[in-house]
Amino acid sequence: MDAYDEGSDARHGPGAPAEPGPPPEPGPPGEPGRPLERPPAEPGPSLEPGHPACPRTGVAALSLRYQVVVAVALAVVAIGVCVHLGMMFLHVAPPNTLTKEHGRAVDEWVYPEFEQNWKLFAPNPLQQNISIQVRAQVRTTDGMTLTTGWYDLSAEDGRAIDGNLLPSHIQQNELRRAWDFFVATHDGENRPVGLRGSLSESYLRRIAVLRLDRDDAVRATTGGGGAVERVQVRSRTSNVPPPDWSREKVSTTPSYRELPWWQVPRDEAGGGVR
Amino acid sequence: MNRFSLCVSRGIARVTEAALGPYQTAVIRIGFSATWLLFLLRELPHRHELYGPDGPWSWTLAEQLIGTNGAFTTLMWSDGRFWFESVYALAILASALLMLGWRTRTMSVLFMVGVLSLQNRSVFMGDGGDNVLHLMSVYLVFTRCAQVWSLDARRASRAGAARARGERVTDRTGPVLWGVLGAVLVAVTLAGRMEGEWLIPALLWTVWGGQALWWLAGRRARSGETRILLDVVANVVHNGALLVIMAEACLIYATAGWYKIQGSRWQDGTAVYYPLHLEYFSPWPALADLLSASGTLVMLMTYGTVLVQVAFPFTLFNRRVKNVLLAVMITEHAVIAVVLGLPFFSLAMIAADAVFLPTTFLRRLGGGAARARDRFLRRDRRTPLPEPRGHESPESTHVGFGA
Repeated sequence: MDAYDEGSDARHGPGAPAEPGPPPEPGPPGEPGRPLERPPAEPGPSLEPGHPACPRTGVAALSLRYQVVVAVALAVVAIGVCVHLGMMFLHVAPPNTLTKEHGRAVDEWVYPEFEQNWKLFAPNPLQQNISIQVRAQVRTTDGMTLTTGWYDLSAEDGRAIDGNLLPSHIQQNELRRAWDFFVATHDGENRPVGLRGSLSESYLRRIAVLRLDRDDAVRATTGGGGAVERVQVRSRTSNVPPPDWSREKVSTTPSYRELPWWQVPRDEAGGGVR
Repeated sequence: MNRFSLCVSRGIARVTEAALGPYQTAVIRIGFSATWLLFLLRELPHRHELYGPDGPWSWTLAEQLIGTNGAFTTLMWSDGRFWFESVYALAILASALLMLGWRTRTMSVLFMVGVLSLQNRSVFMGDGGDNVLHLMSVYLVFTRCAQVWSLDARRASRAGAARARGERVTDRTGPVLWGVLGAVLVAVTLAGRMEGEWLIPALLWTVWGGQALWWLAGRRARSGETRILLDVVANVVHNGALLVIMAEACLIYATAGWYKIQGSRWQDGTAVYYPLHLEYFSPWPALADLLSASGTLVMLMTYGTVLVQVAFPFTLFNRRVKNVLLAVMITEHAVIAVVLGLPFFSLAMIAADAVFLPTTFLRRLGGGAARARDRFLRRDRRTPLPEPRGHESPESTHVGFGA
């Protein structure tokens, strides 16, 4: 068993790091929960090509000059870790005195790579099924314009997820999050707010066209060829019926939010992903 | 005062002399890279729709959004089909090699590049699981996570043995890998493709420079001190990153728990019922009905979830309680994987939990894995090998799951 640790200080290939950079720090020795018991025996640094084993390791083996470097590294890492953790904390904490004051600094530190959201089913889990439905205006090959019926894309997703041990992100996240994105970037009148608003519209439209193409909606409507000219998206929101054992009553009548018709650019009408 | 300074010096000694938690960092390395690898393989048929240039979140849409936030993604370097396929393939390769612990520092960087490239390309495709991987892929770069259960560790012990026999050991692969990646880095920087946020490009350059230093220090017999210095600094950085990883896990649980406490559904004990009845999170409706048939059971699960999430960070101060809660949380995530249809989120969370597993448990796990592998290999060869009594050779224990 003791053979475990021999040489386990293995650095990788020609290189180990000496990076400064944001996170690290000299872990306060009281590592939480001390799951870290025994470090590998000795960092015997004798791993490099043709390198005779170094006799001593550790700070004690270093001359003063080098010890100063170690001290600086310790300080940089310590400060880096503290600042980083502080920023992460403020980022996930509710708006508060500090973030009102220093919100910009926090955002600058966090975005784009350290963004996070852990409000998992919190404060309350979603209690409504939001179905995204779409229909299209199709121009047939002989120039007529027909309107398809509503396609319930979320129901399609739901069926794809049913009995699935490994649901795909395209079934579970794509449409659901595209709709969240749309709602977050549009006002009550379905007008886009800023660049993100218009991006979310294009995104939703492209998903709609892609799914209609996959469902072969054009053929189903025209019985032959044709091209999608415009699409319309609506959401159908219905409350999850309360459990049998609760005495709660909620309305189960769905409510709809209907978006305006969107023109589909010609090069997109084929359905995007190829 | 004296005791205080003694404490401090002991602490400094601890964080400088070793990269702590070799088994814990190895297990999260394997956990996160395996999660991402399995995810990429599972999404192979859907890769174009998720991240491809012609997917619904098209290259031009991504370009506009990334223009505003400067997120790092190599997929914006070109909108070509071939480039996309290459990045996806490299992301798969890097996660597989990181899992095995081959040239781990380099692979951890490439793993991070793969994760960020794909996720930042299509931010609206991800969920909590992607978020965990995103953060951890960055933090892993700072750790020495191949001290055990890795091909690197095996190579190091072989090299050590060879040197003990007086042989000369030369490593060619490392410098070649370093040279190739350096050339890529230079080319990309000169081509002006690194003009987003400075953080990730700076990290890439720093690791690359650090590897050069390490190699140089190793070659010169005279520079023993430089070598030790680099080793100490690497330990300090590793220990800092390990602390960040642990704190991040606590932050996840604390946030999830404390926000839940404020929700009326978590208070009235019905919260767990609802996700089970959402179209998007109910792959097994019959199972969901079974679980939510009893109001009392749902209430116990609801309160239990909040309790465990809120309590977890505090239990780190008591080893025994921590381990019990850890077991509960890992079980809960395993259940969530199936019941809510969130396998990759759950895997990522279990990997994050694993950083708190006790060393003795991990060693036993590694030993078991090694034995299982040996048995498997022996059966595979179908040759009755002479019974290797006590097959806990340093070799096999080192490599663990690795090989």
